[in-house]
Amino acid sequence: MNDTLNVPIISRGRVIMPSAGDSVVFKGRGGADFCSPDPHKHIHDLVLGDTAKLADLHQTSMANIIDFLVEFGKRLRLDDNPWLQQSFELALQAGGLAEPILRGVYDNLPHMFDPNMLTGLADKTIGLPYLDGWVPGEGKYANVRIRAIGTRQLHITAGNVPVVAGLTIIRAALTKSDVLIKAPSNDPLTSNALARTMIELDANHPVTKHLAVAYWKGGDETMDSQIIRTTRIDKITAWGGMSSVKHIQKFLSPGNDLTALNPKYSMSMIGRETFESEEAMDEAAIGLATISGFFNQTACANTRIVYVESATDEESLDKIVALGRKMVAAYAKLPAVLSTSAAAPNKELEAEMETASMEDDFFHVEGDTINGGFVLSKFPDRVDFYDKLDNRVVNFVPVASLQDVVKWCNDTTQTVGIYPETLRAQWLDTFALAGVQRLVPLRGGDPLQIYSDMHHMPPGVPHDGIEPMRRSVRWVIDMGPPQHAASLHMAA
Amino acid sequence: MAISLLAENPAGWAQHSFDELLRLPREEREALQLAALKLRFARMREKVPALQTLAAKQGVESIEKISDVLPVCFDHRVLKNYPLSILENRDFKRLTSWLNKLTMHDLLKVDLEGLSTIDGWLDRLTDYGMLIGTSSGTTGKLSFVPRSRDELSSWRASYLAVNYASSGVDSEKVKLPMFSAVYRGGHQMMLKIQSLFAADMAGGEEHWHTLYSGTMPADLMALSGKLQAAEERGEIEQLGLDPALLEQRTLILEQGRRKEADMEAWFGKLVEEFRGHRVKIGAPFAELYRLAKAGTEKGLKPSFAEGSVLMGGGGMKGYKDAPDNWEEIITDFFGIPKISNMYGFSECIGHMPMCDHGFFHFFPYAIPLVLDADATELPREGVQTGRLAVVDLLAETYWGGFISGDEVTMHWDEQCPCGWGGPRIEKNVRRYSEAEGGDDKITCAGSAQAYNEFMDFVAGEA
Repeated sequence: MNDTLNVPIISRGRVIMPSAGDSVVFKGRGGADFCSPDPHKHIHDLVLGDTAKLADLHQTSMANIIDFLVEFGKRLRLDDNPWLQQSFELALQAGGLAEPILRGVYDNLPHMFDPNMLTGLADKTIGLPYLDGWVPGEGKYANVRIRAIGTRQLHITAGNVPVVAGLTIIRAALTKSDVLIKAPSNDPLTSNALARTMIELDANHPVTKHLAVAYWKGGDETMDSQIIRTTRIDKITAWGGMSSVKHIQKFLSPGNDLTALNPKYSMSMIGRETFESEEAMDEAAIGLATISGFFNQTACANTRIVYVESATDEESLDKIVALGRKMVAAYAKLPAVLSTSAAAPNKELEAEMETASMEDDFFHVEGDTINGGFVLSKFPDRVDFYDKLDNRVVNFVPVASLQDVVKWCNDTTQTVGIYPETLRAQWLDTFALAGVQRLVPLRGGDPLQIYSDMHHMPPGVPHDGIEPMRRSVRWVIDMGPPQHAASLHMAA
Repeated sequence: MAISLLAENPAGWAQHSFDELLRLPREEREALQLAALKLRFARMREKVPALQTLAAKQGVESIEKISDVLPVCFDHRVLKNYPLSILENRDFKRLTSWLNKLTMHDLLKVDLEGLSTIDGWLDRLTDYGMLIGTSSGTTGKLSFVPRSRDELSSWRASYLAVNYASSGVDSEKVKLPMFSAVYRGGHQMMLKIQSLFAADMAGGEEHWHTLYSGTMPADLMALSGKLQAAEERGEIEQLGLDPALLEQRTLILEQGRRKEADMEAWFGKLVEEFRGHRVKIGAPFAELYRLAKAGTEKGLKPSFAEGSVLMGGGGMKGYKDAPDNWEEIITDFFGIPKISNMYGFSECIGHMPMCDHGFFHFFPYAIPLVLDADATELPREGVQTGRLAVVDLLAETYWGGFISGDEVTMHWDEQCPCGWGGPRIEKNVRRYSEAEGGDDKITCAGSAQAYNEFMDFVAGEA
């Protein structure tokens, strides 16, 4: 048993530590239990019952907010921020990501607070003028003014990548909103670390005064029923798996707007031209290793299934096996900041691979859950356990035409890697209609470049097919009397 | 040993009384089990291709002690280790050659001409001498347990024995009218067991009363996912399914919707008809409780004769809000002082009866092993909680070693106050996946389960 860690509740500039008579121990991942103040006793510290109290943030200019976030970002350096160091240690213990990858993720935190990115994010998705004031309509509609008004938000965050905590704070601040972050059990500290850093920077800044962070157990009906009320929360953003938010549905009523960033699944598509040259196969293999392997396949954007335009005769399948071997070989050469061998095997998946390997009429299995591997379906269908693919193990599925892949695409299909690029123009609209949310390139042959290309996006691009920030403000109309009498074209 | 049991023929063990089987001294029983296991493995290793593959891979040549069998126990996935698409496309040739690897019978000789349904295929295999039982786990994919007529005799004997041991009624001698709140037939394992033995135990078809007279088609169970998806796209006609099957689906969906009302009507009629008679009622606990609750509310008061039997099973799944004293509510309502119970899973022929002290006892023809999270065997002593594996020695024509999906608490001391011997498990059996579950980890990476839960949530059904 590890020492129990004390995790405070953060309430609008205040740090509330657990104390005698006010503490509960929660089970974290990987045996890292933690102790918090009893959330039941702090409902009013967590929610903002009085909307008038948003006035301070409402009256703060976007320029001021962005300046504040930029200053805040500068303090999010793992090397000299003890709060982040603590959350980093705990995340390491929880074991989701290997040390070099996790370090890379933390090192990236300050870059999220680049002033141009922040300005672009607010301006592209909402429009700075709408956040700072009332924007009149054009011409004869000048009397109709619109403004994006901040709301009271609950964010139920995902803990598989700590970036989510940073992104949540940014989105809330840039919408001039009050935010309560419900931390996940597999990462109870990152949001906390950010909030405490912010308090140290300026405990009285309106952004700090509208940030609360707490953990309570998913399904805690008292908490959910107390918090999710139209009098206390306007917008809910729910990330990831459902166990934590399952019970929330009961308490939703018209007025609580839910943005569901639900679990996503990603894949790649390989065209038949790939097999025409060794060079193309090498390039595709490195692309596949990168998109499947980055962050050790813990993210929703990681490829888990690779659809390959191919026949199913032995000779064609051998070529896919060769591609798979090249991919596994490329895993071994990925920079440690992107991907590493797994610290422990994934027993459930190994059992699936083991069982599949017994049926060589249907499957060809290579590799393992430590160094990565692949399962080739010898028929045009994915394996039944496709939703368990992890630890850099992918399923190669031969299809006669990529048209056949459409039936496996839907709202859960997030990122699609493509090789070669000639496929893109041909299939883009087909797959957009089928539900996929992002097509990315796999070419180049250099893992860091491929990873970078995959994430090279301007500020304010859609997220999982939607624009969450646009949805999380209240669009208010101020309709003054018209400038000149509207002419009434009515038949007398 | 007070009875003669041959290591060469475990099927013969099942012909002895349960009482004697549960009284074998541990040392003698384990020596006999080991001898039988050695012979069984040596025979199957060459004759069952799937076992041959696994044994070669694990490098297991022979069995010297019971623990040696663990590396060659089939994962529960093995019985459904075929691509779903061949079932959905009803590619019976490939399905048959897949199943052929799991049995000593040569299924490649089965005539597959003119087959269009999974039930038709299973019927054709039955004609050939197989008694395939299906089961569907949480994923909905059908497992096929490759049992055959060769097992029928010991299967029947062990089923009657477990019923006798748990209820105190010997169905060989005492034929009680029987109520089963299920379909009358089907290849699903539980329905298959009932359709093979229930009428016999009740004293004739006319004494076996089922809720519905029809059968539960394997096709509907196998294709439920595909049918649902096709229905949503409005493409159900394009699946090329037998229209009769689609009609059956409509009927079964309708029955599902009015099941509670049907149950109450059916049961209400039986209560009147059998007033003062000795009967046997079998249903999942949740159904028994539901009947008791609805019956009590309506002022219904059964008065069955003394010596009637209530046989429950299946946990309280689907009825999580039941009060703590639900067992009492059931026994009070039915006027039958005891709820008999047994434990088993589809892969294992022999089930385990529950004794008066609430333990399920293993018969000698099922050899249990308990595994820790790393799939290493826990000591065969004291009290151990872990995943259950069983070698079923009654499986004569297929390999009977399976790792189950259940977590059990095993008592190895053989000192049960009830007087029965044999290893025994507590009644708190649960799915191993539940035990592995743990707390509310959230990630954004999609899994089918996560997504389905999400959809339930969004639809307000969670």
